[in-house]
Amino acid sequence: MGIFKKIGDFLDERLGIRDILEQNLTKYLLPKNINVWYTLGAVLLALFAVQVASGILLLVYYNPNTDDAFHSIQRIMNDVPYGWLIRTIHAVGANVIILALLLHMLSVLFMGSYKRPRELTWMAGFLLFLLSLAMCLTGYLLPWSQLSFWATTVATNSSREIPLIGDVVVRFLRGGAMVGQPTLGRFFALHVMGIPLILGILVLVHLFLVRRLGISRPPFGPDWQPSEPSTTFHHEEHPGGIPFFPHYMTKDAAMIAFFLALTVYVVFFAPGLFFPPASFQPANPFETPVGIKPEWYFLWAYQTLKIFPSEFLGLAVQGLAVTLLLFLPFLDRSRERRPKHRPLFVAGYCVGIAVFIGLSIWGHFS
Amino acid sequence: METRRKFLTGILGALGAAIAGLTVYPVFKYLSPQATAGGKGRVTIPKNQVGVDQAHFFQFQGHPAVVLQKSPGVYIALSAVCTHLGCIVQWVPKKDEFLCPCHGGRYTIDGKVIAGPPPKPLPSIPVAMSGDNLLIG
Repeated sequence: MGIFKKIGDFLDERLGIRDILEQNLTKYLLPKNINVWYTLGAVLLALFAVQVASGILLLVYYNPNTDDAFHSIQRIMNDVPYGWLIRTIHAVGANVIILALLLHMLSVLFMGSYKRPRELTWMAGFLLFLLSLAMCLTGYLLPWSQLSFWATTVATNSSREIPLIGDVVVRFLRGGAMVGQPTLGRFFALHVMGIPLILGILVLVHLFLVRRLGISRPPFGPDWQPSEPSTTFHHEEHPGGIPFFPHYMTKDAAMIAFFLALTVYVVFFAPGLFFPPASFQPANPFETPVGIKPEWYFLWAYQTLKIFPSEFLGLAVQGLAVTLLLFLPFLDRSRERRPKHRPLFVAGYCVGIAVFIGLSIWGHFS
Repeated sequence: METRRKFLTGILGALGAAIAGLTVYPVFKYLSPQATAGGKGRVTIPKNQVGVDQAHFFQFQGHPAVVLQKSPGVYIALSAVCTHLGCIVQWVPKKDEFLCPCHGGRYTIDGKVIAGPPPKPLPSIPVAMSGDNLLIG
């Protein structure tokens, strides 16, 4: 005990560390009616940390060249002690992150927390979602399996429909006419360094904005009223609220444990869930496997491309949907956040979820 | 109240330690050098690769080693790792001795220290003959 107190005193004398901790933990008050959906940010931070740690460990044995990539993954799975565990946690963790991101965004949308003055927080969060998808896409190629190769071939080929510059974009993404060593090299660089760097900075921006503006009060309860518009900066305080530590941090810890348990459950009891047969065959540029499908979170996009008469139209609809969501806080400018007072939005919200799920199921079975 | 708090803190600490152990152990094993690295068995080298008074360097159990033909039909195998600071020794045929290029350690053809800082001789490795091959180890 003595040594910890001494370290604490040393840091406190020089940095005022106890004041910082107090202001951000015990004196950091959250709305009384805060709910479990607000824990998803902390859950995502924990899941990202697991991805970083498992990713660094995979780098120890992974070889990013087309001759060795598949075999290095096989070696990790079969020969290196606990390699199967690290690799499966990394692969399953990516899927759990996308699930948590979707739930986080859906809860923010439902409670209208994206509205003024939190437009930038929403945009940073939405860009984090897009970057996470890019992480998944670039990571998918690295095992250099049949699945990796052909999924990347199809995904990069979609850009061909962009008017005028489509072919150039495809060649640029692949680093050549076909998916090959140049593609693996650039996807590897993006996956382990390029995207994580931007993602890390955006996470810091997102957290800064959340802390600077204060937690938005959930729009429920009889005394909730839309706030008056303000032209000056205002930090949302919650006097008489619950302290972040230990009260809400305990709830954060419980939800983190739940998501980690979900990850571990899939790793141990359904390890093949995200590994179809094509992921166990080395890439063969001369043989496309039958019935290859993207990951579940890209199935909606895959099916959209199939149902539109032209691929360009499909891409345009996807681009429009993404742009609308990114700029939603500037389109939906009313101060009202209570779901029961926003029937049109809630109807659109439900239809949106139904379309996403419907297209995904259709894409899976088509 | 105080006893209950201590008890719960203890349980939490034990649980945390167990989870930390379960996390750290696989990571430690994952990063540990594999037992099979470099192989443990014998190395077979064709006799015609080792001329009289010539040295042939090879990998033995993950470390560099050297085999020499001292005189016709007499072979000797030694670790090629200098016992001073781990540099790889060179064979100097004109002097019939090994020289470590790092700090000038010198060894006889049998691996005994002649001069310089090496504290111990080069460990020798058993050599057997099997037809046209040498079985080392």
